[in-house]
Amino acid sequence: MTDLVQESEPIAPVAHRSRFRTTAETVLRNRLAVAGLAILALLVVVALAAPAIAPYTINEVDVANRLQGPSAQHWFGTDELGRDVFSRVIIASRVSLQVGFISVGIALGVGVPIGLFAGYYGGRIDSVLMRLMDILFSIPAIVLAIAILAALGPDIVNAMIAIGVVYTPIFARITRGSVLTLRDAVFVRAARSIGASDGRIIGNHILPNVIAPIIVQTSLSLAFAILAEAALSFLGLGVQPPNPAWGRMLSEGRGFFQQAPWMAIFPGLAIFVTVFAFNAFGDGLRDALDPQQRSVIESRGKA
Amino acid sequence: MTQPVLSVRDLTITFRTREGPAKVVDRMSYDLGPGETLAIVGESGSGKSVSSLALMQLLPTPPAVVEGEAIFEGRNLLALDDPEIRKVRGNKIAMIFQDPMTSLNPVRTIGHQLIEPIELHLGLKGRAARKRAIELLDLVGIPSAADRIDDYPHQFSGGMRQRVVIAMGISCEPDVLIADEATTALDVTTQAKIIDEIKDLQERLGMSLIWITHDLGVVAGIADRVVVLYSGQIMEEAGVDELFRDRRNPYTRGLLASLPVPGRTGRRLDAIPGLPPDPLRPPRGCPFSPRCPHAVDLCVRQEPALREPVPGHRSKCHFDPEDLYE
Repeated sequence: MTDLVQESEPIAPVAHRSRFRTTAETVLRNRLAVAGLAILALLVVVALAAPAIAPYTINEVDVANRLQGPSAQHWFGTDELGRDVFSRVIIASRVSLQVGFISVGIALGVGVPIGLFAGYYGGRIDSVLMRLMDILFSIPAIVLAIAILAALGPDIVNAMIAIGVVYTPIFARITRGSVLTLRDAVFVRAARSIGASDGRIIGNHILPNVIAPIIVQTSLSLAFAILAEAALSFLGLGVQPPNPAWGRMLSEGRGFFQQAPWMAIFPGLAIFVTVFAFNAFGDGLRDALDPQQRSVIESRGKA
Repeated sequence: MTQPVLSVRDLTITFRTREGPAKVVDRMSYDLGPGETLAIVGESGSGKSVSSLALMQLLPTPPAVVEGEAIFEGRNLLALDDPEIRKVRGNKIAMIFQDPMTSLNPVRTIGHQLIEPIELHLGLKGRAARKRAIELLDLVGIPSAADRIDDYPHQFSGGMRQRVVIAMGISCEPDVLIADEATTALDVTTQAKIIDEIKDLQERLGMSLIWITHDLGVVAGIADRVVVLYSGQIMEEAGVDELFRDRRNPYTRGLLASLPVPGRTGRRLDAIPGLPPDPLRPPRGCPFSPRCPHAVDLCVRQEPALREPVPGHRSKCHFDPEDLYE
């Protein structure tokens, strides 16, 4: 009986939903991803408004109140020079996010075109480009970044370039891998048969098909880039004093960990929360953009 | 015959492989008249798709080596440089591929893909291009085209998608439309409808049609002339009625004998024994000689010429059918 009822139900017309909307809806159904997104939004707002929010300036030295624990005046305590840790953590978020976005931007801007060309044209172009990427990829990321900074000199801009170079091969590889599966697709041949040029085929037909894994990799790479910047600053190769950076503050706080653990705990927490937020959001995005995963999530949502 | 639209001469395609050169199309010559429908039939691997891809320079070279000529509007298509051939593709000669499920880009709307050739070749932009795209969807029989133009391919059925692909093919009113197994992936009723529509469009637009298929039933329904391809060589060419009435070549006979005849039950189909030759190791004489029931010593030793014993009817065989069949 129930079978009959189900059979006679009219087939629902396919709703006019864009890919962006379906993806957004699936991501928003994932609680962890939403939490990540919320934290990221908050971080961006804090970073943009940091000078207004920070109760003190970053280099307001107050030696009388040095190494104070968290209190109403100093939420995150003070450091060995009596500077407000809360203000410094907030201001440092600017540099962390900036490094993250710019360095991933570099990796994206260089890696994706390399992957597109290598995958689309194949042959010798592919071999040369991808072997170059393999060479970069074979060196441990942080060692490569240190080597680049040693050559360019310790500086925040150089740190962005170094981190960008380190992550370029990842984007090149992901892009190339996806392009390879599309290069011989019938719709690519069809596009060629209507007289589309290579540039048009790559931009109009290949890129939109490979964008999903690239977006996911971007959000995950942002987390790694922020970690890398923290590590480089910890080693004194990124942000230079007196400007604050989470990694740098962690490194400075190390010497006072017995007397003033808050000096290291709060910047460490900031790194953790930021990286977690990017990862949570990136994972949610990946699940949403992978059609097979997506149907699992959707059916779970309906059940 | 009037001046042909497309004249193919000695088209030869060789693939360079690790085991040596594989000749997949061998000295193929044919003419396509204005408004004519030429069917190219053959088993899979006979070179029918490859030969049409080569006309549009759509074969990757290397590994393919394309020789011969294809004269279209006084120029050799095979020798045009990249910007020139791109002006021909989609504009003067368009192509429809076999699988409607994969010949549309899954992440672009139907409209986006349909507008592409219109923008490329007709110089229409924006609203005008979109209007033309809607007209085309209408023309190929997509209901409420204006609403469906922003849909994605997965929202269309297979038959609908193939209509969209056809709309893309005819969007610039090409002189020649090449349909590569265009209806093979569709069910029989949809197939019949699409064929009717293509024939209708052909008459309206005055296109010539190259119809590549292995389905002889479809050939009988649509073609004016038929080229039978075997192992990359033309075995027989004739008008469609002539061919079905008086097949001169043993291969064509074998091909037709292997078709089921409605009403004739309880009999096994006469399949041609054996397999097509390996293009890496072609037989010395007639390519069909290893499988031909009438093959004699001569066939193995010497390659027959593509003779024209009856005007307009060519056959690649040493013998006339009168000698072979009672």
